Amino acid sequence: MRGFGEIAEKLRRSTVQVYADKRRGGGSGVIWKSDGLVVTNAHVARQSKAKVELWDGQTFDAKVVSHDARRDLAALRLARAGELQAVSHGNSTAVRAGELVLAIGSPLGFSGALSTGVVHSVGPVGGMGRQNWIRANVRLAPGNSGGPLANSSGDVIGINTAIVNGLGLAVPSDAVASFLDQGARPSLGVTLRPLSFGLQILELEEGGAADEASLRPGDIIIGSFDSLTESLDSGKDVIRLQFFRDDRSKVREAFVRLRSQAVAA
Amino acid sequence: MANELAAFSNELAVVVARAGQGVVAVHARPRFSSSGVFWRPGIVVTAEHTIRREEEITVTLPDGKNVPATLVGTDPGTDIAVLKVDFAHPPVSKATAEPTPGNIALALGRSEDSGVNATLGIISAVSGSWRTWRGGRLDHYIRLDLTLYPGSSGGLVVNAAGEALGIATSVLSRIAGLAIPASTIDRVVDELLSRGRVSRGYLGVGLQPVELPDHQKGLIVLSLEPEGPAAKAGVLIGDILTTLGGTKVDDTDDIQAVLEKHAVGQSVPAVVSRGGVSQTIAIVIGERPRRD
Repeated sequence: MRGFGEIAEKLRRSTVQVYADKRRGGGSGVIWKSDGLVVTNAHVARQSKAKVELWDGQTFDAKVVSHDARRDLAALRLARAGELQAVSHGNSTAVRAGELVLAIGSPLGFSGALSTGVVHSVGPVGGMGRQNWIRANVRLAPGNSGGPLANSSGDVIGINTAIVNGLGLAVPSDAVASFLDQGARPSLGVTLRPLSFGLQILELEEGGAADEASLRPGDIIIGSFDSLTESLDSGKDVIRLQFFRDDRSKVREAFVRLRSQAVAA
Repeated sequence: MANELAAFSNELAVVVARAGQGVVAVHARPRFSSSGVFWRPGIVVTAEHTIRREEEITVTLPDGKNVPATLVGTDPGTDIAVLKVDFAHPPVSKATAEPTPGNIALALGRSEDSGVNATLGIISAVSGSWRTWRGGRLDHYIRLDLTLYPGSSGGLVVNAAGEALGIATSVLSRIAGLAIPASTIDRVVDELLSRGRVSRGYLGVGLQPVELPDHQKGLIVLSLEPEGPAAKAGVLIGDILTTLGGTKVDDTDDIQAVLEKHAVGQSVPAVVSRGGVSQTIAIVIGERPRRD
């Protein structure tokens, strides 16, 4: 019988630790291709460079080649590495509630820790856009982010990303595949806070799309998170945003040029 | 070599898909929906604590359609609520074998956005008849070692064969989720369908166990509900209750057990010790007031 132990051991060899500075913690990652392509969460690889530590302790420098904050995915390429042991990719569209799953990662600094459970459900999560998530009742902790969620055959069906109400949330592997194919989705480069009638800009990324369009912190973009996501994903190069600044009786308009973020991986 | 783990995983997913056909999402509170189960044709049961409004309740059916539901009645004591839905869905099949600690159990729920959901665990303890802190009585105490998430309450608890053991609730125990047993649900559904409520006997007294000088035990009356059944019968604060309905009582559980055997409106003799003198008072059992 092929048990949890055997599957976990194989998966452990394709799971890495990703960090900028080990003392300040980091997350996990998945060796997606044997040529040195590693997938992790965007919130794990925040800078343009990171260090990647393999299961056997070997450490490599890695470059962040693609970064999608909204889907919370990042692709890294290892600077120098031979043939690596990549994971086998599962079909996340075939995932059903009740299936057994395993998660490997480095929660709280424990390397290669295993947790098991079942798929709770598959679908969108309220307040987190329209994309599908795999929810699983596996116990996750900080440091699991970016690590693999695998099915009972050991195939990776998702990237563990968040914990909501105690449930593990994973980005499905088909979303990872389309992220690697198409690159990052365009981004405004803002931190938003939802209000009853719009989204208030708290922070602007310097040189980001919203910054270039002269939006300022405190401006309130009219609309919901979902409607904003929809216009960002519409495929247009320039989108029109309506917003309030100081005076809430006057609707202002800005045209934001979205930069294509696709970078050859 | 055959992958037994994958086969087991597949069986679990099949059980969830099949048994999940009897599970609905219940929209009767703000923010989170809860889950409910087709217990009889057109009858959905759910956890009472998830019902926060009496009108404009809807349920999401397995096919994703939302239909209105009417509240037939609730029993806070056992945390059961019964809804009527104008939709003839076959009820879930119930387990014939008694659950045993160690048996695999799945809790199935449903949400409008992502359909059926499941968590896996085991039955961690089973015992006989158990009184909840809310005053109701469950035919069995079935403790679950599985995680119940917001929205899981009212969902279906099944064994590995996909047969219903009961419905899940997170509020009857502080340490674990429980399955409200199928036999209890049957009993409460019958009562709610015929009378719209489950009435429980009530004396309207606050009691504390004490030991008497002759080493007998009794319950001292610490508070009296004004105009309550005991107050009307002439019970005073400070009286020590020793016998109710012919049964010796030295614990509040004994009182509940006596009340359960007598109908509301029936008169029971109570022996109380007042100032060292024993006397018998007839108390007409009242009905426990509803929480809301």
